[in-house]
Amino acid sequence: MPEARKIDKGAEQTIREMLQALLASGQVSAVLSLGRTGGDQGGVAYSLFTDPEAFGPEGAAQPFFPLMPANAGGLLSRLTFKGALTKPIAAVIRPCELRAFVELVKLNEARMDNVLLISSTCSGVYTFNVANNGGVKPRLPQYWKQVEQGELDADVRESCRSCIHFVPRVADITVALLGEGNLDTQCTLYLHTEKAAALVDGLEGFQGTPASGELETEAIQRSLGQRQAFRDEVFGQIEVGLQGLVHTFGRCISCRACKTVCPICYCQLCYFDSPKCERLPRFYEDELLKKGGLRVPADTIYFQIGRMAHMSASCVGCGMCMDVCPADIPVSTIFSKVGTAVQAVFDYVPGRDLEEPVPVQTFEQEELAQVAT
Amino acid sequence: MSDKGASLPAAQGLETALVGWLKETLQKEIVDALLVPVKVPADDSFAYLLVQNPAVLDRASPLPPVMPIQGGKVISRLTMGGNGNLRIAAVVRPCEARAAIELTKLKQAYLDNLLLITIDCPGVLPLSDYLADPAAGATRFAEAAAQGDRDPMRPVCQICDHFSLRQAPAADLHVGTLGCPEGTVVFVPGSPKGEKVLEEMGMALDAALDDWAGQVDELAQAQTERRQQAHAELGQTIAGADKLLGVFSTCINCHNCQRACPICYCRQCYFESAALKLPPENYMARAELKGALRFSPDTLLFHIGRATHMVLSCVSCGACEDACPMDIPVAQMFSLLADRSQQEMNYVAGESLADVLPLVDYQMDELHHMEQPYVEIYKQEVQDA
Amino acid sequence: MAEETFKPTIIGFLCNWCTYAAADSAGVSRMKMPSSVNIVRLMCTGRVDPLFVLTALLRGADGVLISGCWPGQCHYQKGNLHARRRAAVLQSIFETLEPDMGNRFRLTWVAASEAPRFVQVVKEFDKHITQAGPSPIAEEMFL
Repeated sequence: MPEARKIDKGAEQTIREMLQALLASGQVSAVLSLGRTGGDQGGVAYSLFTDPEAFGPEGAAQPFFPLMPANAGGLLSRLTFKGALTKPIAAVIRPCELRAFVELVKLNEARMDNVLLISSTCSGVYTFNVANNGGVKPRLPQYWKQVEQGELDADVRESCRSCIHFVPRVADITVALLGEGNLDTQCTLYLHTEKAAALVDGLEGFQGTPASGELETEAIQRSLGQRQAFRDEVFGQIEVGLQGLVHTFGRCISCRACKTVCPICYCQLCYFDSPKCERLPRFYEDELLKKGGLRVPADTIYFQIGRMAHMSASCVGCGMCMDVCPADIPVSTIFSKVGTAVQAVFDYVPGRDLEEPVPVQTFEQEELAQVAT
Repeated sequence: MSDKGASLPAAQGLETALVGWLKETLQKEIVDALLVPVKVPADDSFAYLLVQNPAVLDRASPLPPVMPIQGGKVISRLTMGGNGNLRIAAVVRPCEARAAIELTKLKQAYLDNLLLITIDCPGVLPLSDYLADPAAGATRFAEAAAQGDRDPMRPVCQICDHFSLRQAPAADLHVGTLGCPEGTVVFVPGSPKGEKVLEEMGMALDAALDDWAGQVDELAQAQTERRQQAHAELGQTIAGADKLLGVFSTCINCHNCQRACPICYCRQCYFESAALKLPPENYMARAELKGALRFSPDTLLFHIGRATHMVLSCVSCGACEDACPMDIPVAQMFSLLADRSQQEMNYVAGESLADVLPLVDYQMDELHHMEQPYVEIYKQEVQDA
Repeated sequence: MAEETFKPTIIGFLCNWCTYAAADSAGVSRMKMPSSVNIVRLMCTGRVDPLFVLTALLRGADGVLISGCWPGQCHYQKGNLHARRRAAVLQSIFETLEPDMGNRFRLTWVAASEAPRFVQVVKEFDKHITQAGPSPIAEEMFL
């Protein structure tokens, strides 16, 4: 493990036909994948597809479409929150969505049973701005050309261009995309689990030829270098200090959109929406007396740092928060920077390993001597 | 109440004059604090500040080019715990005052210690337009406001016909800017509380309001026509399941619209509650039924459901559309639904605290057209018996 | 003297069984120490929600101290180990975004029998915060 299989069909065609076959044969009952939503706007959304025709040549499914309308890890949690799936499904999701799913499984907010996880080496997705102005579809030829070259389109999100975890870890099957030439005529599948190998071997025309080589190719290493450099750059642009916080979150309107779309923020009623944060007149009067002026509603920075205290150990840097912010605050970059620092204290990378406990769920007798003086 | 107003010299423009006046109310201890929009330290937005320190008011902007947070929501957050000990003057746009009125009826705000001051509103810029270049946005807004040009403003501001006190008598005081002599604005009292404040400020109620009223009414008439036309056109583009699904085809279920809405006050929205969190078998069965299930599901349920919950109090403020990351014209749609449903109930949201919320009131003899099918069936049965 | 000497306001979250007992003991023995620490007694440092620290700092406290039993001696076995992890997360966030807040927050261990150590801790932290000066957050309106 992982075994590599070279298939003489294009990547998209391979996945479409595979999923169509899995659905038709009843080996999976549904597939979670992006798909067209109809309408002229060219919208895509995740859907649970049960009809094999959806993956036919004209079908609505769009498995590798470069847009992320929701974090699929969060969606899988929604699906399995009340109980594990009793019928098998397959899910085609990105590495960050996969990592979010793994975190949620560890946090008991999701169940992995009966989910076949298919992911890919990720070249990022476009911003909603691109989707709203001209749409993503016209960009597709350009996008895929760049994927083959191991490059990221300049209009791909900041969160993607600064992502250093774009190789999936806990997938059953990884489709090699980034830096792979001729993606419309051939592709390589990496089978990480026995479940994946058994499935692929049982499907007519998908066994492929065993291939040698690593998942982490030279192209991937190059992309990693570029993305790490960009990551350092955007992290460096965040204003540090009290005035930095005031400037950055001055535009924040406390809408909580970032929290709503965050896959990790799973609380049914967020602390910061609870009665504890519904300030009585006394609070405002006291603060007014002390300072002479106070923003209303209060607790903007409290919410931001508080949310970090609650979830930064598991932040996977998926970027949904930044996508939905009505005030154009680079939330994901900030939370990724903080998340990386917090995770480094525990040598932890969210979502890389199902067996690795989340830092806030456990502790050691002897550790972190530098914290207490 | 007097039918005259009080003139305020405004040689350097509305904002300077009004901020000066507000400082005076603090100084004279007519109020204990102000609630006004203030430019944020990074100069790229505006936030409501509860203020006692007059020095802060140098950066105050009573009529900013954008509305990042709806003022009604701000008033609600400030007063949801009840009436405090401070007398506060709040300067807000008419739609924000109307939202505050609705929230008061819904017991989410308390206005006893608040002096509500509104201004003739030229609209606001779309938030994303402004954020792209705040300095240019401020200039664009100022020019458009001066010329009464609503084209750069948000779509729902372009069709707003409740931009002044005359159509929404909810405020204690209103600052009229339309139809005023050059270099002045006029304070229009909206309540005895407001009138008293003018008296305490030593302002004589001797300014005739005819010109202001005339201009406002004329503009409101034009806006109402524009609104009706826009709604008629919009109605065509969304009527029917296909079209409606088309409009919401890019919706990502982020619920920003609900969060930005001043009327949506539920701590936990029904559409985010356990009621809609179902076992996987439910989702799989629904996917099986149609060949696919958009996930997360219930997009239309959320939007139409939210409409049924809040549309009777919707003040067409447009906060929802500003917040939508997918550029869906939610405010335009909801303003259409609001007009139609409020008309059905003979109700106008935010006009007056005296108007009772339609769903907490009922008459024995009303809305018979809703009963028709059943009455007809019953009538036949009775006749046959 | 033109300026009034700055007297810090420090919030101290002390665990009942160890540090609070030490503080009590120090008081009864009339040991002298600065009065800047406002004590909030909890049963265990494991009760300290990071939001307590954040609230205190954002509402203008000049310093926040958490103190409890030494690791291995927690009255409830492992509460202080949880506290240590939470403190590590919070400290990491502060260091990344606002180092001054990190500078005003400290976690220590003081056993019940260590009254002199408690005095030492308070003296040191008081001096540290005095040097840091009044918290700039106390004046900030756009929080």
